[in-house]
Amino acid sequence: MGPRDGGGIGDLAGEMEVDAFRLLFPLRFYERHLLESIRPDARPLGTARDTSVALGAVGSADGSALAKIGHTTMLAAIKMEVMIPSSESPDEGCVAIEFHMPPICSPLVRPGRPAVAAPVISKQLSDVILSSQMINLKELSLITGKAAWMVYLDIYCLDADGSLFDAALLSAVAAFSNLCIPAVSVNEDGRVIASSGENREGKTMKELLNKEKRKLTLSCIPFSLTCILHKKYILADPTAEEESIMETLVTVVLDSSTRLISLYKPGGPFLAYTSVVQDCIALTSRRVKELQKIISEAISDMEAD
Amino acid sequence: MAGKSATAPTTYSPSPSQRKQKPIFKDVDWVRPDGRGFHQCRPAFLRTGAVNAASGSAYAEFGNTKVIVSVFGPRESKKAMMYSDIGRLNCNVSYTTFSTSVRGQGSDHKEFSAMLHKALEGAILLESFPKTTVDVFALVLESGGSDLPVVISCASLALADAGIMMFDLVTSVSVSSLGSNLVIDPITEEESCQDGSLMITSMPSRNEVTQLTLTGEWSTPKIHEAMELCLEACSKLGKIMRSCLKEAASASQE
Repeated sequence: MGPRDGGGIGDLAGEMEVDAFRLLFPLRFYERHLLESIRPDARPLGTARDTSVALGAVGSADGSALAKIGHTTMLAAIKMEVMIPSSESPDEGCVAIEFHMPPICSPLVRPGRPAVAAPVISKQLSDVILSSQMINLKELSLITGKAAWMVYLDIYCLDADGSLFDAALLSAVAAFSNLCIPAVSVNEDGRVIASSGENREGKTMKELLNKEKRKLTLSCIPFSLTCILHKKYILADPTAEEESIMETLVTVVLDSSTRLISLYKPGGPFLAYTSVVQDCIALTSRRVKELQKIISEAISDMEAD
Repeated sequence: MAGKSATAPTTYSPSPSQRKQKPIFKDVDWVRPDGRGFHQCRPAFLRTGAVNAASGSAYAEFGNTKVIVSVFGPRESKKAMMYSDIGRLNCNVSYTTFSTSVRGQGSDHKEFSAMLHKALEGAILLESFPKTTVDVFALVLESGGSDLPVVISCASLALADAGIMMFDLVTSVSVSSLGSNLVIDPITEEESCQDGSLMITSMPSRNEVTQLTLTGEWSTPKIHEAMELCLEACSKLGKIMRSCLKEAASASQE
């Protein structure tokens, strides 16, 4: 699919020539835009793409969300299972986060050969979500030492167009806010079973653990922004094309009270001055406010239904 | 930090999935779980252009069955491939871990990948892209029954969206035999207690069948009846897919 949005350049003749120039000299193409403080998709340098969140996208999951940042699309779904907690933390549940890049999401991923980026983002996501203390693992306990919730969070990238981590984290956070812990009870064998309306009066029931479906309390929700560093420019929320041309990336994760949770700069040809890092953090804290608004709108939309 | 040591085999889903199927399906008059008539398909929602990174793509939703198909190419074949005068078709079908009621492994579905390949192969003008490969990748987001027919129909829509030359759109519908009844477009519950199933993949405007699978016990008149049902539904689905493509084309012209 050819690049379609070539707006903002008047001095190059003809649409075809622009497209050819873009493919042949991508870096020069971008640098000419950067001189004018604009990007080929008509965004200013520090602005993120249109972002949307839809909750409850997957019917078969206990909590789910679809997040879109520009074309980048992430589908996150949570399934709750029961486990025996480990002896070191008998009153805590567990969260397992996995990020998948199926072959549908990008021409670079082929079946049978998983994308290199997927396990990296998987690890980053679990580090950020677990260390941010957004989830109180004690809330996931059912019977101390005997049963606790295992939270399986699977995030699928449906369309990869840059800033994958940001979109994945947004969808993960949204899925947690949509999560409804099912009502369960213990049967005679000591197994935890779902208590649906019909068997509530059943005699096999020993005790009701979760009387009603309930939500998790989320504190310090993490949000992130990825920026490209290129010479003196900082480009927020890069597309896949931008990421492939300019390779220095910085990902900043802040929580809702703008405390720094993670800062990730995996090398790259440009070294970041501390002032640049501060600029990135400032951009992220602005972005956190936008994302908070988007999430709370999605939640209130969901409750209105 | 909660490590991965405590994961995998020790967990179980609290919702009982092995709930005994009630034998309602065998009775003379019973209602389908979703209230449809026996010969009524689920409402279909189709949309092209779901994945921007692909050459062509489509999203299909039939009741609770939700599928995305991306098409890449024609592009360079794998290095190990022999020279070929005609193009190659490469198909892959996979499931998400949350597609079924109990969390699965989310692995590739080899059988469906092969079936999808066979269903589409005959409809594509492979001569139109010699030496190259067209990749058709499907992801089942949610499995709600009749997964393979939905994947096949959605894949042909994605191929059309990618501009791959085909003789006709490929549409697919399945029928389950439950006792004395035939139910079209079965959901998972119906499929799990069916006596037999028949799936037809056809090119409706050419009135040709590219794939026909038959499992279970069937009598000859019943096969005829089921085929009639499927073919009729296939041609209706073909019309819906055609109008979906027309809508997308007129929207992009504006």
